[in-house]
Amino acid sequence: MAIRNFYAEKCNGCGICVACCPMDVLRLDEKAKKVVIKYPKDCIACWGCESFCPRGCFDVTPERGRGELVSPY
Amino acid sequence: MSKIDSLGTVITTDVLVLGAGGAGMCAALKAKESNVDVLMIDKMGIGWSGQVPIGGGILAYVYPDYVEKWAENVTRQSFFFNNQDWTYQLGNYMHKSTMDLANMGLTFHRDKGEINILDWGPHIHVTLFDAAKSLVALKKTANNRRIKMMDKIYAIDLLKNGDKVVGAIGLGLTDGKTYLFNAKTVIIATGNCGYMHEKTYSSVLGEGAAMGYRAGAQLVNAEFSSSYVWGIKDLGKELMGIYFYQYLENAKGEKIMFKHFPYLKENKQPVYTFDPRVIEAMQKEVQAGLGPIYINLQGLNAKEIAGLAEDQVEGLTLLKGNDTMRLLREKMGIDPSKEKMEMWPRYLYSGGGLRIDVNGKTTLDGLYAAGGASSSSWSGGGGGQAGLGVQSAAVTGFVAGENAAKDAKKTKQLDIDYNQAKSAVERIMAPTQRAGNTDAYDVVYRVHEAVVPMKYNRQREAGRMREALGIVEDARKKLGGVGAKDFHDLARYHSAESMAMAAEFTYKAALMREESRAGHNRVDFPQRDDKNWFKWITIEQKNGAPHLTTLPVPVEKYRLQP
Repeated sequence: MAIRNFYAEKCNGCGICVACCPMDVLRLDEKAKKVVIKYPKDCIACWGCESFCPRGCFDVTPERGRGELVSPY
Repeated sequence: MSKIDSLGTVITTDVLVLGAGGAGMCAALKAKESNVDVLMIDKMGIGWSGQVPIGGGILAYVYPDYVEKWAENVTRQSFFFNNQDWTYQLGNYMHKSTMDLANMGLTFHRDKGEINILDWGPHIHVTLFDAAKSLVALKKTANNRRIKMMDKIYAIDLLKNGDKVVGAIGLGLTDGKTYLFNAKTVIIATGNCGYMHEKTYSSVLGEGAAMGYRAGAQLVNAEFSSSYVWGIKDLGKELMGIYFYQYLENAKGEKIMFKHFPYLKENKQPVYTFDPRVIEAMQKEVQAGLGPIYINLQGLNAKEIAGLAEDQVEGLTLLKGNDTMRLLREKMGIDPSKEKMEMWPRYLYSGGGLRIDVNGKTTLDGLYAAGGASSSSWSGGGGGQAGLGVQSAAVTGFVAGENAAKDAKKTKQLDIDYNQAKSAVERIMAPTQRAGNTDAYDVVYRVHEAVVPMKYNRQREAGRMREALGIVEDARKKLGGVGAKDFHDLARYHSAESMAMAAEFTYKAALMREESRAGHNRVDFPQRDDKNWFKWITIEQKNGAPHLTTLPVPVEKYRLQP
């Protein structure tokens, strides 16, 4: 998956990542006040969640589960 | 319930803006100044959309007194191939655009209360702004001005009544509703195509050009602007700074930039992140069997590493360079002063876009375009000029917004044509009618095989480009095997389709252009050929297929002559 690591323990449920995700990958669990990765395979690695999360909860990788990106060479 | 309501939820507005990134936000804010009803939709949450918030926070600026000289410089550098109407429009608008953005709430770096305007290059300056919060700030103003906004709507196709565009169809990604937006005028501001290959800038997937093309609008310059930028392979990010290049080395430990460009040793010459010489050196080394390429900062302390990020604009890329180092340490567990990092050319963008006139209008009635979705790049002056992409998004947005609103004011609302809407909705929903045995992103990965390799896209050659087109065709065939269980799958399907279209258009136009010019390098036609190719290539749908034709650059009508 494109979200390689999600550090749930740091998440305070502010919802910025949910707002910025273009593919609706992330949803907010209102009760637990935590974000859940609901549609992991839909991630396009736009880097929004990782860029805007104020607590550094996300680590996104562009290889998206393929193992290797297509080489430019 | 009317017949139209059976197709989806109908929402009516005067001006509909598709995409709420830099261009869309500016378009909506400017359109609202004409006191019309404005609705802005985006697949992301508005305030975080598009590429501006994750960019460098640099806005190009030309002083009004310098516009003439800047435009002349841009025109000479592009060998008069630019659309001078747009070059002057952009140049003349930059001051007003910057002041408008400040008044609309964009936070600029200031010095004693004044916007800090920093010298950058010949007749051009830059201003710096808070990128991450930029659209949040503008959204606040949009809210105060009663611009309507809808998040998480994935716009796929345009609605037409006869020859006129009267709205768009969108999928509600979170509520599972089909929306039919009925508008007097529509502005496409959905960005260009980043192909979701690398991290960053991959939220733009070519949807705008694809929907415009399907509705009959012309595209232009698809063969230009494909770009490679060197970056850290594992981090998926470029390394901002002008002296890092000195530490690029091959597998044998040879410094590759001094090897290929010995003159760089003199006078501590800067090489910017987007400089194509770096890609050239990397490719030569790997082709010679001396890859992979590393950046080796071992033995340098943190202060020395930060110093490499020094730039023309003091403090700016220093900040960015430090930021990258922090990401390396925190995310990858890498200490750059202790270990080498593999670098490679990152493929970022397709080129071209919807052809717009100087008012931001496309070739279709009722349809405007701005930012990366438009052919704004044909104003010239790109080539890595920091902040020009953002300024171009702002200016094309302001221009399209103003004119789309004026147009809407004098236009009677045309109803949605039921039959056209029904067939468009059926086309959009078709993947839900089949089981499918292929994942939409496998189609995208096949497209990557055609667009990413430099043998296809950087050293272009007829035979190889036909091979690449064959791969794209195979990807499109695979699309037929993609099914959709829900709106998420549908959005994935349609984004894959728009990426395949972007790749097809790029290679078709690149095959047609039998010369080398700007970023379009043909190894089989290595020279610029003004005699035969002083013309733009346009693409338009005819009889269900892309029809390419040429449009001579109307330089005789322009201010500056060769």
